[in-house]
Amino acid sequence: MSDDPLATPRGKDGRAPDVFRSGGWVPMRQFAETETVDFLIVGTGAGGGTLACRLAEAGFSVIGLDAGPWFRPLEDFASDESEQTKLYWTDDRISSGGNPVQLGSNNSGKAVGGSTVHFAMVSLRFRPEWFRSRTLLGYGTDWPVDWREMWSYYQEVEQALKISGPVSYPWGPKRPRYPYRAHELNAAALALAEGCEAMGIAWTETPLATLSAPHGLAHPCVYRGFCVTGCSTNAKQSALVTWIPRAVAAGAEIRDLAMAGRIEVNDAGRVTGVQYHREGHWHFQKARNVVVAGYAIETPRLLLNSATDRYPDGLANGSGLVGHYFTVQPNQAVWGTSAREIRSYKGAPSLALTEHWNYDDNKDFFGGYCYMSQGPLPQLWANTLANGRGLWGDRLMAAMQDYNHQVGLKIVGEMLPQERNRVTLADETDQYGLPIARVEYTWCDNDRALIDHSLKFMTQAMQAIDCRDIWSQTDDTCHMNGTARMGDDPRTSVVDTNCRCWDIPNLWICDGSVFPTVGGVNPSLTIQAIACRTADRIRALSSRGEL
Amino acid sequence: MAERYPGYDVLAKRHTPSWNAQTRRVVDERLAMPREPRFFSPAEFRTLEAITTRITPQPSHRPPIPVASLIDDKLMRHRHDGYRAASMPKDGEAWKLGLRALDAETQRLCRCLFHLLDPARQDEVLRHVEAGDAHSVEWGGMPSQTFFRQRLLTDVVRAYWSHPTAWSEIGWGGPASPRGYVRMGYDRRDPWEALEARGDDQDAVRQENRHVG
Amino acid sequence: MRHGATLRAARRLNRASAVLATSVLLDSAVEHDRGSFTNRAMYTPLIVSALTLAISAHGTADKRPAAHRARQAVYAAGAATGLLGTAFHLYNVLKRPSAWTWQNLFYGAPLGAPMAILLAGLLGTAAEAVRDNPPHRARVLGFSAGRLLSAISGLGMSGTTGEAGLLHFRGAFHNPAMLALVTIPPVGAALLLNAASGPKDRNRWLARWWLRLVAWMGIAGVGFHIWGVQRAMGGWSNWRQNLIDGPPIPAPPSFSGLALAGLAALGLLDDHPDG
Repeated sequence: MSDDPLATPRGKDGRAPDVFRSGGWVPMRQFAETETVDFLIVGTGAGGGTLACRLAEAGFSVIGLDAGPWFRPLEDFASDESEQTKLYWTDDRISSGGNPVQLGSNNSGKAVGGSTVHFAMVSLRFRPEWFRSRTLLGYGTDWPVDWREMWSYYQEVEQALKISGPVSYPWGPKRPRYPYRAHELNAAALALAEGCEAMGIAWTETPLATLSAPHGLAHPCVYRGFCVTGCSTNAKQSALVTWIPRAVAAGAEIRDLAMAGRIEVNDAGRVTGVQYHREGHWHFQKARNVVVAGYAIETPRLLLNSATDRYPDGLANGSGLVGHYFTVQPNQAVWGTSAREIRSYKGAPSLALTEHWNYDDNKDFFGGYCYMSQGPLPQLWANTLANGRGLWGDRLMAAMQDYNHQVGLKIVGEMLPQERNRVTLADETDQYGLPIARVEYTWCDNDRALIDHSLKFMTQAMQAIDCRDIWSQTDDTCHMNGTARMGDDPRTSVVDTNCRCWDIPNLWICDGSVFPTVGGVNPSLTIQAIACRTADRIRALSSRGEL
Repeated sequence: MAERYPGYDVLAKRHTPSWNAQTRRVVDERLAMPREPRFFSPAEFRTLEAITTRITPQPSHRPPIPVASLIDDKLMRHRHDGYRAASMPKDGEAWKLGLRALDAETQRLCRCLFHLLDPARQDEVLRHVEAGDAHSVEWGGMPSQTFFRQRLLTDVVRAYWSHPTAWSEIGWGGPASPRGYVRMGYDRRDPWEALEARGDDQDAVRQENRHVG
Repeated sequence: MRHGATLRAARRLNRASAVLATSVLLDSAVEHDRGSFTNRAMYTPLIVSALTLAISAHGTADKRPAAHRARQAVYAAGAATGLLGTAFHLYNVLKRPSAWTWQNLFYGAPLGAPMAILLAGLLGTAAEAVRDNPPHRARVLGFSAGRLLSAISGLGMSGTTGEAGLLHFRGAFHNPAMLALVTIPPVGAALLLNAASGPKDRNRWLARWWLRLVAWMGIAGVGFHIWGVQRAMGGWSNWRQNLIDGPPIPAPPSFSGLALAGLAALGLLDDHPDG
């Protein structure tokens, strides 16, 4: 392919890349900018991509804008960590606070398909009680959503992505069988399994959004292990190869390399469309409704950058909470060296996990965590040893020689939503002239208690399987949520149960920003389920004339 | 240090199904990268090279990985992480400032430029920087420990392990597309993976690794 | 002298055994290569199935109505290999974390696979015994040969369906054609078991035609599996992975082998209804 997806948009001239056929194209509807579409969605990831698909399939006219490139995984993705940094959001941002968060490759994607292009495919359902954390478990906030509704949307997403998971899942209420079978465990996963058996807790194969059998034109996984740097096999069921092709087939238009700069609002206080930058200049697309789905940093950033006289604190910010309650998840790990060869670079990074501590409430802190096996590639591992363990020089080189023997356990846990953790606008501007985001984060005591508990437990699990040189990686976080939280009360939330902004009825938010709490599991499945639910809500509202 | 994977070279698999065209293109470009600095000045580059030798020391029996050049190249292409601490300038600026400050620090401590010190003293200086114990005015508002972790260590380490020689050294399978891996259990390897030497079997393992592909 | 029917049946059974042995030879070679032959014993099924194939070819061509010592020995070794293999595979599964789990059944040593060489051995042993009958008789171990062989083939077909069904379940039945495997052979097995136990004078045209269907299904399976391998990532160029990770190309003809054995058994039932 001679065209560079990072320089030239591919979604134009009435066609879109066919990600399943090298060099192929599919026809794509094209709207004129002067045409007012029903829904203009900013961001095409787990939230925006899913919503674009469902709304288009429901008959609405839909345009999805994405700041990122439209990749063709089969041709564009190389087996090279450095090259593949092209998947991440590497525009300027400031990270500060008592416990500054790592951004970029850690949790921020920039591509059609969003962060699902680089995510680790872990597809877990929330524990039902988490939707009522305040009422049932005494912390956080209740979601304005019933878990039973979410259960059916989880099923829809699992079926759509052909999640490869265990035949029966050890925790939570009964769920239907995953559509595809679980993948073979690699040595790192077997180590987790043995550790759990020694500790007397259950474990399972991780439900993963990567194929264990063929589906359509996508190939089953070949266990190459480059998952978080981009799947060139098309086995990974990112939005790029699932929701987006469906959206285009249903008549949606996706505009890549289109950076949204500002949402325009009219005198009546309703949004009218979005200013976006593409191919060197600014454009304006008219829309009846705008959905913001840029994930937990870009969504509040866009809302704040769209401030007007009428809305001097940014759009949808009557509560003052846009950007607040930015919440990440702890991603601490315990590592060790095995006498056996592990070669964890083979297969997906997290083939086995345990959710024991999400369902066991015998703890003296709120929230839970799961932990999973790991398989870091060389650069990531070297950086972990250097920054996480403080090794450099001969000590680093010696430790790296044990690469094929390293084994580890890593948590995805629950941090408490705190209002003080927030995304605001910095004084600097980026390459588009837009004020950049500043992220502030500080842990609370509950966060520290959860982390300590997890490190102690995982250390014991590692000791039980005869590893030497066991050490803890104490500072790592992942994912991000919360900056436009859902709720029942416009004073304490930004969007309602329909993901509709309280202040502006034709402005919606549909991504991880809407999570009032984050739970102790990876968010991607829940974000996609919320998007499916939002689409159904929109359809219901539309049929009642309430849009 | 006896080699753990003698004779193993990921580049030998370039024309097997483990490498695809785009990977070959990317790695070839990296291997053909010019060695002279284009972002850093010659003086800055000298300091940088000395730093990389301490952070990722290399064996002398093989051609060295041009770590400093890789960093120079990355900065010249504006390939940044996408975030920084509030106290840090942007990546390229941070490096220039840091290198200047490091040399100033070395002058303060040892009355000499960093690259002229002996390795043990260089390590000492780096440890000061790492600990936040660097007080020359050249640091400005940039905390030395933040520079050390976010820029120096991160960029050096990632540059080193972006090179095929480093991949071969640690016995990593390397590029893997379209062909991935079949045998995933404990102590299992595919015929296209590196064989590990266990002790005095260096020659036998070297022979075997020559056929890996 | 009426050796004709028994001879014909015996040679058919040799042929059936040959088909099974071929499947085992190629399949165990690939699968034990996946296992890197870490245990020396893993060479055994390759050697034994190769010998079984050779000796079965010999038997298929042999028109003498007498058992052959060398053939009997090889077939006995085949049966023994099948039993030992099953024990090894069972051990392999049970030593994994949590022992009896779907993960271990899918990805550990396949429990039902050694059964194919066991069946090749049993059918071959039966072939020799059938051949060894005096004229006008077809009995094995005191049983009517037709009934006994119908039972063995029927049970073998059920067992093979179980093993293959497990693997199609692991593959998630993502292609509707994969259902053929768990619908067609079970009916064939049922028809065979019915023939083994039912009234002796029957026109078994349905069983005959169904078994032919099973035999062709085994051949079609090879075609489907070839399709499955070539559509995997990298297709044929990635053969070192796809021949192992993809659907096993040599496996489906084991159904054909069993179907041929079943047809031979039905022939015996027709020619020697009382054994």
